[in-house]
Amino acid sequence: MSNGTKPVDALRFPAILYHREHTWLQADGDAARVGISDYAQDELGDIIFFELPAVGQRFAAGQSFGSVESVKVVSTLYMPVGGEVLAVNDALADTPELANRDPYGDGWIIAVKPDGPGRGGLLTSREYREYLKTLK
Amino acid sequence: MYTIYSATGCTRCKIVMARLRQLGLDFAEHDMKAAGKEAFQRFYAANRRAIFRGPEGVEFPLLTDGQTIRQGLGPALAWLQAGPDALAGFFQVGVLHKEWLDGIDISGGDPARADDFLAVLRHLKQNAMKLEIATDGGNAALLAAAVREGLADRLVMNVRGPAHLYGQLAGRPVDPADIRATIALVAAFPAKQFQTVVAPLRRADGAVAYLAPGEVGQAAALIAEAAGDNHQPYLLRPFRPEAAADETLRRAEPLAAAALLPHRSAARTHQVKTEIEKTG
Repeated sequence: MSNGTKPVDALRFPAILYHREHTWLQADGDAARVGISDYAQDELGDIIFFELPAVGQRFAAGQSFGSVESVKVVSTLYMPVGGEVLAVNDALADTPELANRDPYGDGWIIAVKPDGPGRGGLLTSREYREYLKTLK
Repeated sequence: MYTIYSATGCTRCKIVMARLRQLGLDFAEHDMKAAGKEAFQRFYAANRRAIFRGPEGVEFPLLTDGQTIRQGLGPALAWLQAGPDALAGFFQVGVLHKEWLDGIDISGGDPARADDFLAVLRHLKQNAMKLEIATDGGNAALLAAAVREGLADRLVMNVRGPAHLYGQLAGRPVDPADIRATIALVAAFPAKQFQTVVAPLRRADGAVAYLAPGEVGQAAALIAEAAGDNHQPYLLRPFRPEAAADETLRRAEPLAAAALLPHRSAARTHQVKTEIEKTG
Protein backbone atom coordinates (compact mmCIF):
# COMPACT_ATOMS: atom_id res chain seq x y z
CA MET A 1 0.00 0.00 0.00
CA SER A 2 1.13 3.56 -0.55
CA ASN A 3 -0.19 7.05 -1.14
CA GLY A 4 -1.44 7.64 2.41
CA THR A 5 -2.00 11.23 3.28
CA LYS A 6 -1.19 11.45 7.00
CA PRO A 7 2.24 11.50 8.62
CA VAL A 8 2.78 8.67 11.09
CA ASP A 9 2.56 10.98 14.10
CA ALA A 10 -0.92 12.10 13.01
CA LEU A 11 -2.26 8.52 13.06
CA ARG A 12 -4.04 6.90 16.00
CA PHE A 13 -2.32 4.06 17.88
CA PRO A 14 -4.53 2.71 20.66
CA ALA A 15 -2.82 0.36 23.09
CA ILE A 16 -3.66 -2.90 21.32
CA LEU A 17 -1.56 -5.36 19.30
CA TYR A 18 -0.69 -4.91 15.63
CA HIS A 19 0.36 -7.18 12.78
CA ARG A 20 3.02 -5.95 10.36
CA GLU A 21 0.47 -6.28 7.56
CA HIS A 22 -1.60 -3.57 9.28
CA THR A 23 -4.32 -5.50 11.03
CA TRP A 24 -4.89 -5.15 14.76
CA LEU A 25 -5.99 -7.49 17.55
CA GLN A 26 -7.91 -6.43 20.63
CA ALA A 27 -8.59 -9.04 23.30
CA ASP A 28 -12.14 -9.30 24.60
CA GLY A 29 -12.28 -12.09 27.19
CA ASP A 30 -11.58 -15.41 25.45
CA ALA A 31 -12.24 -13.82 22.09
CA ALA A 32 -10.61 -10.95 20.23
CA ARG A 33 -11.57 -8.44 17.60
CA VAL A 34 -9.60 -7.84 14.43
CA GLY A 35 -9.59 -4.78 12.19
CA ILE A 36 -7.33 -2.67 10.05
CA SER A 37 -5.14 0.05 11.47
CA ASP A 38 -5.54 3.78 11.01
CA TYR A 39 -2.45 3.62 8.80
CA ALA A 40 -4.10 1.00 6.60
CA GLN A 41 -7.35 2.88 6.16
CA ASP A 42 -5.44 6.08 5.40
CA GLU A 43 -3.35 4.33 2.76
CA LEU A 44 -6.38 2.65 1.20
CA GLY A 45 -8.46 5.81 0.93
CA ASP A 46 -12.18 5.43 0.29
CA ILE A 47 -13.06 1.84 1.19
CA ILE A 48 -15.87 0.45 -0.94
CA PHE A 49 -16.00 -3.29 -0.28
CA PHE A 50 -14.92 -6.02 2.14
CA GLU A 51 -14.69 -9.66 1.14
CA LEU A 52 -14.99 -11.47 4.44
CA PRO A 53 -14.91 -15.07 5.69
CA ALA A 54 -17.80 -17.07 7.04
CA VAL A 55 -18.32 -17.63 10.72
CA GLY A 56 -16.65 -20.89 11.71
CA GLN A 57 -13.76 -20.67 9.26
CA ARG A 58 -10.32 -21.18 10.74
CA PHE A 59 -7.14 -19.38 9.76
CA ALA A 60 -3.51 -19.59 10.80
CA ALA A 61 -1.61 -16.55 12.03
CA GLY A 62 -0.47 -14.53 9.02
CA GLN A 63 -2.92 -16.25 6.68
CA SER A 64 -5.20 -14.22 4.43
CA PHE A 65 -8.77 -14.11 5.71
CA GLY A 66 -10.28 -11.76 3.16
CA SER A 67 -9.68 -8.57 1.28
CA VAL A 68 -10.55 -4.91 1.42
CA GLU A 69 -11.20 -2.89 -1.73
CA SER A 70 -10.92 0.85 -2.01
CA VAL A 71 -11.22 3.02 -5.07
CA LYS A 72 -7.42 2.96 -5.33
CA VAL A 73 -6.44 -0.58 -4.47
CA VAL A 74 -7.41 -4.12 -3.47
CA SER A 75 -5.54 -5.29 -0.39
CA THR A 76 -5.34 -8.65 1.37
CA LEU A 77 -6.35 -8.93 5.02
CA TYR A 78 -4.02 -10.99 7.22
CA MET A 79 -4.84 -12.73 10.49
CA PRO A 80 -2.85 -11.35 13.41
CA VAL A 81 -3.35 -14.68 15.27
CA GLY A 82 -4.52 -18.14 14.36
CA GLY A 83 -8.08 -18.95 15.30
CA GLU A 84 -11.69 -19.46 14.42
CA VAL A 85 -13.99 -16.74 13.15
CA LEU A 86 -16.74 -16.17 15.70
CA ALA A 87 -18.45 -13.18 14.11
CA VAL A 88 -18.24 -10.88 11.13
CA ASN A 89 -19.09 -7.19 11.25
CA ASP A 90 -22.16 -7.23 9.00
CA ALA A 91 -22.37 -3.44 9.08
CA LEU A 92 -19.38 -3.32 6.72
CA ALA A 93 -21.48 -4.82 3.92
CA ASP A 94 -23.64 -1.69 3.68
CA THR A 95 -21.23 0.79 5.22
CA PRO A 96 -17.67 -0.21 4.39
CA GLU A 97 -16.46 3.31 5.11
CA LEU A 98 -16.92 2.55 8.81
CA ALA A 99 -13.38 1.23 8.58
CA ASN A 100 -12.26 4.66 7.36
CA ARG A 101 -14.21 6.58 9.97
CA ASP A 102 -13.61 4.40 13.01
CA PRO A 103 -11.06 1.69 12.26
CA TYR A 104 -10.61 0.68 15.90
CA GLY A 105 -14.28 0.87 16.86
CA ASP A 106 -17.35 0.45 14.66
CA GLY A 107 -15.09 -0.49 11.75
CA TRP A 108 -13.92 -3.77 13.33
CA ILE A 109 -13.91 -6.62 10.82
CA ILE A 110 -14.12 -10.00 12.51
CA ALA A 111 -14.17 -11.48 16.00
CA VAL A 112 -12.06 -14.57 16.51
CA LYS A 113 -11.39 -17.21 19.10
CA PRO A 114 -7.58 -17.33 19.17
CA ASP A 115 -5.99 -20.79 19.10
CA GLY A 116 -3.93 -20.04 22.17
CA PRO A 117 -2.51 -17.32 24.35
CA GLY A 118 0.58 -16.80 22.19
CA ARG A 119 0.89 -13.41 20.53
CA GLY A 120 4.39 -13.84 19.13
CA GLY A 121 5.32 -11.52 16.33
CA LEU A 122 2.64 -8.94 17.06
CA LEU A 123 3.74 -5.41 17.78
CA THR A 124 2.80 -3.06 20.59
CA SER A 125 1.44 0.35 19.61
CA ARG A 126 4.87 1.90 20.17
CA GLU A 127 6.62 -0.78 18.13
CA TYR A 128 4.04 -0.49 15.36
CA ARG A 129 4.45 3.30 15.23
CA GLU A 130 8.24 2.90 14.91
CA TYR A 131 7.76 0.20 12.27
CA LEU A 132 5.56 2.50 10.21
CA LYS A 133 8.24 5.19 10.28
CA THR A 134 10.51 2.77 8.46
CA LEU A 135 7.89 2.43 5.72
CA LYS A 136 7.11 6.09 5.14
CA MET B 1 -32.32 6.25 -18.24
CA TYR B 2 -28.58 6.12 -17.72
CA THR B 3 -26.65 6.24 -14.47
CA ILE B 4 -23.13 7.57 -14.37
CA TYR B 5 -20.80 6.94 -11.45
CA SER B 6 -18.25 9.70 -11.31
CA ALA B 7 -15.58 11.10 -9.04
CA THR B 8 -15.16 14.72 -8.00
CA GLY B 9 -12.82 16.48 -10.41
CA CYS B 10 -13.03 13.71 -13.03
CA THR B 11 -12.75 15.53 -16.37
CA ARG B 12 -13.58 12.36 -18.30
CA CYS B 13 -16.81 12.02 -16.35
CA LYS B 14 -17.72 15.59 -17.27
CA ILE B 15 -17.11 14.86 -20.95
CA VAL B 16 -19.47 11.87 -20.85
CA MET B 17 -22.12 13.86 -18.98
CA ALA B 18 -21.84 16.68 -21.49
CA ARG B 19 -22.32 14.14 -24.28
CA LEU B 20 -25.40 12.69 -22.56
CA ARG B 21 -26.87 16.20 -22.32
CA GLN B 22 -25.93 16.93 -25.94
CA LEU B 23 -27.80 13.81 -27.04
CA GLY B 24 -30.79 14.68 -24.85
CA LEU B 25 -30.45 11.50 -22.79
CA ASP B 26 -31.71 11.38 -19.21
CA PHE B 27 -29.18 10.35 -16.63
CA ALA B 28 -28.49 10.39 -12.91
CA GLU B 29 -25.03 11.15 -11.60
CA HIS B 30 -23.58 9.61 -8.45
CA ASP B 31 -20.30 11.21 -7.40
CA MET B 32 -18.57 8.59 -5.30
CA LYS B 33 -16.59 11.27 -3.47
CA ALA B 34 -19.72 13.16 -2.47
CA ALA B 35 -23.43 12.44 -2.11
CA GLY B 36 -23.28 9.49 -4.47
CA LYS B 37 -20.94 7.48 -2.26
CA GLU B 38 -23.52 5.01 -0.96
CA ALA B 39 -25.05 4.49 -4.40
CA PHE B 40 -21.60 3.78 -5.81
CA GLN B 41 -20.81 1.33 -3.01
CA ARG B 42 -24.00 -0.61 -3.78
CA PHE B 43 -23.24 -0.60 -7.49
CA TYR B 44 -19.65 -1.65 -6.86
CA ALA B 45 -20.61 -4.47 -4.49
CA ALA B 46 -23.04 -5.87 -7.07
CA ASN B 47 -20.76 -5.49 -10.10
CA ARG B 48 -17.20 -5.55 -8.82
CA ARG B 49 -16.17 -8.57 -10.89
CA ALA B 50 -16.95 -6.59 -14.04
CA ILE B 51 -15.17 -3.42 -12.98
CA PHE B 52 -11.67 -2.80 -14.29
CA ARG B 53 -8.90 -1.52 -12.07
CA GLY B 54 -5.91 0.22 -13.59
CA PRO B 55 -2.65 1.08 -11.83
CA GLU B 56 -4.39 3.93 -10.04
CA GLY B 57 -7.51 1.99 -9.07
CA VAL B 58 -11.06 2.04 -10.37
CA GLU B 59 -11.30 3.95 -13.63
CA PHE B 60 -14.10 6.48 -13.94
CA PRO B 61 -16.61 7.12 -15.35
CA LEU B 62 -18.80 4.05 -15.09
CA LEU B 63 -21.91 4.29 -17.23
CA THR B 64 -24.85 1.90 -17.02
CA ASP B 65 -28.44 1.59 -18.14
CA GLY B 66 -29.13 -1.16 -15.61
CA GLN B 67 -28.17 -3.92 -18.04
CA THR B 68 -24.98 -2.82 -19.75
CA ILE B 69 -21.94 -1.30 -18.06
CA ARG B 70 -19.28 0.64 -19.89
CA GLN B 71 -16.22 1.93 -18.06
CA GLY B 72 -13.87 4.67 -19.12
CA LEU B 73 -14.21 7.59 -21.47
CA GLY B 74 -13.70 5.82 -24.81
CA PRO B 75 -16.06 2.88 -24.17
CA ALA B 76 -18.74 5.18 -22.73
CA LEU B 77 -18.66 7.56 -25.69
CA ALA B 78 -18.62 4.63 -28.12
CA TRP B 79 -21.78 3.28 -26.50
CA LEU B 80 -23.52 6.64 -26.75
CA GLN B 81 -22.40 6.99 -30.36
CA ALA B 82 -23.44 3.63 -31.74
CA GLY B 83 -25.10 1.44 -29.11
CA PRO B 84 -23.58 -1.03 -26.68
CA ASP B 85 -21.77 -3.36 -29.10
CA ALA B 86 -21.36 -1.71 -32.51
CA LEU B 87 -17.90 -0.35 -31.72
CA ALA B 88 -16.83 -3.32 -29.61
CA GLY B 89 -13.17 -4.00 -30.09
CA PHE B 90 -12.25 -0.42 -30.89
CA PHE B 91 -12.36 0.91 -27.32
CA GLN B 92 -11.22 -0.57 -24.02
CA VAL B 93 -10.59 0.96 -20.62
CA GLY B 94 -7.21 2.64 -20.79
CA VAL B 95 -4.57 3.25 -18.17
CA LEU B 96 -3.19 6.65 -19.22
CA HIS B 97 -4.33 9.73 -17.33
CA LYS B 98 -4.73 13.47 -17.52
CA GLU B 99 -5.10 14.58 -21.14
CA TRP B 100 -3.86 11.29 -22.62
CA LEU B 101 -6.28 8.54 -23.59
CA ASP B 102 -5.31 5.02 -24.59
CA GLY B 103 -7.33 1.84 -24.95
CA ILE B 104 -8.12 2.69 -28.57
CA ASP B 105 -7.40 -0.29 -30.84
CA ILE B 106 -8.03 0.71 -34.43
CA SER B 107 -7.54 -2.84 -35.69
CA GLY B 108 -9.87 -4.37 -33.10
CA GLY B 109 -13.24 -3.29 -34.46
CA ASP B 110 -15.47 -3.61 -37.50
CA PRO B 111 -14.25 -1.33 -40.33
CA ALA B 112 -17.84 -1.05 -41.51
CA ARG B 113 -18.38 1.16 -38.44
CA ALA B 114 -15.60 3.54 -39.49
CA ASP B 115 -17.90 6.59 -39.48
CA ASP B 116 -19.01 6.02 -35.91
CA PHE B 117 -15.48 5.23 -34.79
CA LEU B 118 -14.11 8.42 -36.31
CA ALA B 119 -16.99 10.41 -34.81
CA VAL B 120 -15.96 9.24 -31.34
CA LEU B 121 -12.35 10.21 -31.99
CA ARG B 122 -13.47 13.64 -33.19
CA HIS B 123 -15.52 14.13 -30.06
CA LEU B 124 -12.53 13.18 -27.91
CA LYS B 125 -10.28 15.61 -29.77
CA GLN B 126 -12.89 18.37 -29.44
CA ASN B 127 -12.56 17.82 -25.70
CA ALA B 128 -8.81 18.38 -25.80
CA MET B 129 -7.86 14.74 -25.28
CA LYS B 130 -4.59 13.44 -26.69
CA LEU B 131 -5.16 10.06 -28.29
CA GLU B 132 -2.82 7.10 -28.28
CA ILE B 133 -4.03 4.74 -30.95
CA ALA B 134 -2.90 1.13 -31.00
CA THR B 135 -2.94 -1.18 -34.01
CA ASP B 136 -1.63 -4.56 -34.97
CA GLY B 137 -1.88 -3.71 -38.65
CA GLY B 138 -5.53 -4.40 -39.42
CA ASN B 139 -7.80 -1.64 -40.76
CA ALA B 140 -4.93 0.31 -42.32
CA ALA B 141 -7.32 2.46 -44.33
CA LEU B 142 -9.11 3.51 -41.16
CA LEU B 143 -5.81 4.39 -39.53
CA ALA B 144 -4.90 6.46 -42.58
CA ALA B 145 -8.20 8.33 -42.28
CA ALA B 146 -7.64 9.03 -38.57
CA VAL B 147 -4.10 10.27 -39.21
CA ARG B 148 -5.22 12.40 -42.15
CA GLU B 149 -7.81 14.11 -39.94
CA GLY B 150 -5.33 14.74 -37.15
CA LEU B 151 -7.17 12.45 -34.76
CA ALA B 152 -4.07 10.66 -33.45
CA ASP B 153 -1.35 12.01 -31.20
CA ARG B 154 0.67 8.84 -30.76
CA LEU B 155 0.63 5.53 -32.61
CA VAL B 156 1.63 2.19 -31.13
CA MET B 157 1.93 -0.75 -33.48
CA ASN B 158 1.95 -4.24 -32.04
CA VAL B 159 3.92 -6.14 -34.64
CA ARG B 160 2.71 -9.63 -33.83
CA GLY B 161 5.68 -11.43 -35.34
CA PRO B 162 7.13 -12.44 -38.69
CA ALA B 163 4.82 -12.42 -41.72
CA HIS B 164 4.39 -16.23 -41.86
CA LEU B 165 3.14 -16.36 -38.22
CA TYR B 166 1.28 -13.06 -38.14
CA GLY B 167 -2.25 -14.38 -38.54
CA GLN B 168 -1.74 -17.12 -35.97
CA LEU B 169 -0.36 -14.65 -33.42
CA ALA B 170 -3.11 -12.11 -34.15
CA GLY B 171 -5.79 -14.78 -33.81
CA ARG B 172 -7.42 -13.90 -37.12
CA PRO B 173 -6.59 -13.87 -40.83
CA VAL B 174 -4.54 -10.84 -41.80
CA ASP B 175 -3.84 -9.14 -45.09
CA PRO B 176 -0.07 -8.74 -45.50
CA ALA B 177 -0.64 -5.60 -47.55
CA ASP B 178 -2.64 -4.12 -44.65
CA ILE B 179 0.21 -4.88 -42.24
CA ARG B 180 2.80 -3.26 -44.49
CA ALA B 181 0.61 -0.22 -45.10
CA THR B 182 0.15 0.24 -41.36
CA ILE B 183 3.88 -0.08 -40.71
CA ALA B 184 4.52 2.63 -43.28
CA LEU B 185 1.90 4.92 -41.71
CA VAL B 186 3.23 4.41 -38.20
CA ALA B 187 6.84 4.85 -39.29
CA ALA B 188 6.04 8.20 -40.87
CA PHE B 189 4.16 9.45 -37.80
CA PRO B 190 6.07 11.78 -35.46
CA ALA B 191 5.20 10.06 -32.14
CA LYS B 192 5.24 6.30 -32.56
CA GLN B 193 6.34 3.00 -31.11
CA PHE B 194 6.69 -0.42 -32.67
CA GLN B 195 6.58 -3.30 -30.26
CA THR B 196 6.45 -7.08 -30.24
CA VAL B 197 5.39 -9.29 -27.37
CA VAL B 198 7.73 -12.26 -27.41
CA ALA B 199 4.88 -14.71 -27.10
CA PRO B 200 4.54 -18.48 -27.18
CA LEU B 201 2.52 -20.13 -29.91
CA ARG B 202 1.51 -23.61 -30.90
CA ARG B 203 3.85 -24.99 -33.54
CA ALA B 204 3.06 -27.34 -36.42
CA ASP B 205 4.09 -30.34 -34.31
CA GLY B 206 1.67 -29.35 -31.54
CA ALA B 207 4.33 -28.13 -29.15
CA VAL B 208 4.07 -24.67 -27.61
CA ALA B 209 7.22 -22.60 -28.00
CA TYR B 210 8.12 -18.94 -27.72
CA LEU B 211 8.99 -16.83 -30.74
CA ALA B 212 12.60 -17.62 -31.46
CA PRO B 213 15.26 -14.92 -31.80
CA GLY B 214 15.37 -15.49 -35.55
CA GLU B 215 11.60 -15.00 -35.80
CA VAL B 216 11.78 -11.73 -33.90
CA GLY B 217 14.58 -10.76 -36.26
CA GLN B 218 12.21 -11.46 -39.16
CA ALA B 219 9.59 -9.22 -37.53
CA ALA B 220 12.17 -6.44 -37.27
CA ALA B 221 13.05 -7.01 -40.92
CA LEU B 222 9.36 -6.71 -41.83
CA ILE B 223 9.30 -3.29 -40.14
CA ALA B 224 12.47 -2.24 -41.93
CA GLU B 225 11.16 -3.35 -45.29
CA ALA B 226 7.78 -1.61 -44.99
CA ALA B 227 9.10 1.49 -43.19
CA GLY B 228 12.06 1.91 -45.49
CA ASP B 229 14.53 2.40 -42.66
CA ASN B 230 16.14 0.60 -39.74
CA HIS B 231 15.96 3.33 -37.11
CA GLN B 232 12.40 2.90 -35.87
CA PRO B 233 11.77 2.77 -32.10
CA TYR B 234 11.17 -0.95 -31.47
CA LEU B 235 10.42 -2.50 -28.10
CA LEU B 236 10.45 -6.19 -27.21
CA ARG B 237 8.01 -6.98 -24.43
CA PRO B 238 7.99 -10.10 -22.25
CA PHE B 239 4.87 -12.25 -22.50
CA ARG B 240 2.61 -12.26 -19.45
CA PRO B 241 1.03 -15.73 -19.22
CA GLU B 242 -1.63 -14.59 -16.75
CA ALA B 243 -3.05 -12.21 -19.36
CA ALA B 244 -3.35 -14.84 -22.11
CA ALA B 245 -6.81 -15.79 -23.33
CA ASP B 246 -5.68 -19.28 -24.34
CA GLU B 247 -5.56 -21.77 -21.47
CA THR B 248 -2.49 -23.54 -22.89
CA LEU B 249 -0.57 -20.28 -23.19
CA ARG B 250 -1.58 -19.29 -19.64
CA ARG B 251 0.43 -22.28 -18.44
CA ALA B 252 3.57 -21.18 -20.32
CA GLU B 253 6.60 -20.50 -18.18
CA PRO B 254 7.33 -16.76 -18.37
CA LEU B 255 10.61 -15.70 -19.96
CA ALA B 256 12.94 -13.57 -17.87
CA ALA B 257 13.94 -10.26 -19.44
CA ALA B 258 17.50 -11.59 -19.78
CA ALA B 259 16.19 -14.40 -21.97
CA LEU B 260 15.22 -11.78 -24.53
CA LEU B 261 18.80 -10.64 -25.12
CA PRO B 262 19.27 -13.00 -28.11
CA HIS B 263 15.95 -11.72 -29.52
CA ARG B 264 17.18 -8.15 -29.16
CA SER B 265 20.43 -9.00 -30.89
CA ALA B 266 18.55 -10.60 -33.79
CA ALA B 267 16.16 -7.64 -34.05
CA ARG B 268 18.97 -5.08 -33.95
CA THR B 269 20.30 -6.53 -37.17
CA HIS B 270 17.25 -4.91 -38.81
CA GLN B 271 16.16 -2.25 -36.30
CA VAL B 272 19.14 -0.76 -34.54
CA LYS B 273 17.09 0.98 -31.85
CA THR B 274 15.52 -2.22 -30.51
CA GLU B 275 15.19 -2.33 -26.71
CA ILE B 276 13.72 -4.71 -24.14
CA GLU B 277 10.88 -3.41 -22.01
CA LYS B 278 11.91 -2.74 -18.44
CA THR B 279 9.64 -4.51 -15.99
CA GLY B 280 9.23 -4.49 -12.21
